[in-house]
Amino acid sequence: MKKILFFLLICSVSFVNAQRTGSLNIQFDNFVGTEPVVLNDKKYSNALGEQFNISLLQYFVSNIKLIKKDGSAYIVPQNESYFLIRESNPASKKITLNNIPKGKYTGISFVIGVDSARSASEISERKGCLDIAGDAKDMYWVWNSGYIFVKMEGTSSAIDRKNPIFMYHIGLFGGIGEKKTLNNIQVATFDFGKQALKVKASDKNLTLGIKADVAKILNGETNVSMKTNPVIMGGPFSKKIAENYKTMFSFAGLHKQTAETFNKESALGMK
Amino acid sequence: MMTLGSKIFIFSVAILVGTFSFRQLEEKPLLSEPSNFPKPVYHFKSNALTDEGVALGKTLFYDAILSKDNSISCGSCHQQSAGFTQHGHELSHGVNDQFTKRNSMPLFNLAWANSFGWDGGVHDLDFFAISPIQNPVEMDELLGNVLEKLRKSNTYPALFEKAYGSKEINTERFLKALSQFMLTMVSANSKYDKVVRSEGVVFTQEEEKGMALFDQKCSVCHSGELFTDFKFRNNGLKLDRNDDMGRYEVTQLEEDKFKFKVPSLRNLTATAPYMHDGRFKTLEEVLDHYEANLENSPTIDPILKKDGKIGIDMTAEEKKQIIAFLKTLDDEDFLTDPRFAESTAIVATKKKTIEDDIVDLRTQNTTFNTGLQKSIVAYLKIKEALLAKNSNLVSSSTTYFLNTIDKTNSATLSNVQKEKFKKWQENLIFNGTHIIEGKGNLPHQVEHFSELSKIFYVLIASFNPNTETLYFYSKGNSDHWLSDKENEKNWVILKNTPSDDNLQVRMIAPQK
Repeated sequence: MKKILFFLLICSVSFVNAQRTGSLNIQFDNFVGTEPVVLNDKKYSNALGEQFNISLLQYFVSNIKLIKKDGSAYIVPQNESYFLIRESNPASKKITLNNIPKGKYTGISFVIGVDSARSASEISERKGCLDIAGDAKDMYWVWNSGYIFVKMEGTSSAIDRKNPIFMYHIGLFGGIGEKKTLNNIQVATFDFGKQALKVKASDKNLTLGIKADVAKILNGETNVSMKTNPVIMGGPFSKKIAENYKTMFSFAGLHKQTAETFNKESALGMK
Repeated sequence: MMTLGSKIFIFSVAILVGTFSFRQLEEKPLLSEPSNFPKPVYHFKSNALTDEGVALGKTLFYDAILSKDNSISCGSCHQQSAGFTQHGHELSHGVNDQFTKRNSMPLFNLAWANSFGWDGGVHDLDFFAISPIQNPVEMDELLGNVLEKLRKSNTYPALFEKAYGSKEINTERFLKALSQFMLTMVSANSKYDKVVRSEGVVFTQEEEKGMALFDQKCSVCHSGELFTDFKFRNNGLKLDRNDDMGRYEVTQLEEDKFKFKVPSLRNLTATAPYMHDGRFKTLEEVLDHYEANLENSPTIDPILKKDGKIGIDMTAEEKKQIIAFLKTLDDEDFLTDPRFAESTAIVATKKKTIEDDIVDLRTQNTTFNTGLQKSIVAYLKIKEALLAKNSNLVSSSTTYFLNTIDKTNSATLSNVQKEKFKKWQENLIFNGTHIIEGKGNLPHQVEHFSELSKIFYVLIASFNPNTETLYFYSKGNSDHWLSDKENEKNWVILKNTPSDDNLQVRMIAPQK
């Protein structure tokens, strides 16, 4: 009897979901200004004219909210709202959100990094991309517990050293209890211009394009000199970099298409 | 329908809670909460101790599988008889005998701590173990690799199943099991505890006076039954020694420069040397520091600077009394409790031994072999000087020894031989330099001589240049010496533990 009831419960929940929700893909594409990021092989320059290449680029995105015209928002359930985007892993750059209530959404907001509650949470809350021995192993400071939110590494001819590498590892969520640290949590919020995201039931191909202009890690209120500051990890200067990159994300278009055509366009550099 | 769902949920919760309380009633608690202690602060709700979980944690704690080359376990630097610090080491040794930047912290009463490590960079015990595991100068391994090794082991999947109901090995289960074992390490059976709990023990007059003085002069920072306020303070250590900025490295706050965790004062006799870098060998040195040797820096704790005067007033007599009181905080039961002992842990993985470093590098190159033969003679001279407790002679003999090592010509050896020789040579020079510079500090010289002996043994056993039989004596992890005599035990007089327990002797026969 119990089994039957449970079966009915499952069926009806799925039935209800099928009626009222849809899914959304979000494609993150990384650029330096207008140039797509190509790891290792491509040269870029920052606002100070220093030339560099990028060997590693990755960041956390979390606490995603889809915003409606009236200002109300759909908040993606906490446990399904953590993503680690790695330039070296194309699959990680496309994320999928399921069970989104049907409707029109005109904007999005998300945390660049990991919110302070989850950063201070117990080990049982660190699953998937937050697993400190698994996916997050290179995005976590073990001696000063906390995630690295944004990590960019490479080399620059401006750095006057034998091994001219730069490393920007930006983290710090404010600390716990009496342990106060910098708080470098930034929130990206932007709208989709005149367009709107129409989430429909059983539409698997709706894709939101987001551009990340990582030049903004280096350029902005503070123009970061790779020569002067080749390595930034957790020091006070990290605040300035976080202030810079909070505007690096922007809307790059809506695509209601198959994943295949989208990937083709991406490969052609159209996205 | 939602209501039904919720009911099922509540029902399962009820079953869980039921099981939990049953456990509590039936079994002796794994964590003993001493009546004179406050309530523990660890989140037992999400990691309730079980016999199987604690046993798994203990196996992991004593298993060198946690380190990159299977040579070091947590227990290597946290030894029970030393209050879970590393015996006699100022700074701890990690894989390949590298030194860490700090003295290993004692491990006990962790359920009452709200931050971990000298700088408190970790806020939850569950997140601590990953730090030494991944530190390149400690265990130098990635936690992900450790989990992979455990999954492939013959023993661990079954141990995890016993503890958690399935064979799955993941980050959470691993870290929680280690916490479970460490949480059971409660030290609360010192003479002091027995006095305050009125268990029929009384202080001597000197201890009584010492306690009164302690309350006046030390107890603001070393407060309560845990003998720490868990705060971070700059206690005026001289800054010339190194650039370790302590708490500042975590918070980047100017005001936190040179601040370190106030450590507990329990088990002090076992946990020497003292301070985050082990700079003081005796409690007398520590009290002398507080009385007269404080360095005034912008972040020095205001409590050490009362009325514009730096330091804590203490007469020689008062210092003696305070030390007498501090010794009542030694807890022999804790230091010998078999529940925490390595000897009672399940051995899940074969530990790497010194023999694993030995490779057959024998050569017919007479110049090279003669060079090493000179080194053996020089080595034995250092040992003679140590036995005579002549620190200056130890120093000069070591200079001579390093000279012979430096002059040994390896130019005509094969690349493999050269490479190995160079590595050992560097290591001998490192430890030898410490012996030379440790002139006047015999225990320090002994410590580095022991390390030097271990490396020299591996070198000699590999190249085997000796014309006479040599014997390598080894006691536990940190006492080693080489001898040309069979059955030489004189050496142990340099250590305070003159017993044959765990004494191993290995022989290097002459090359034929």
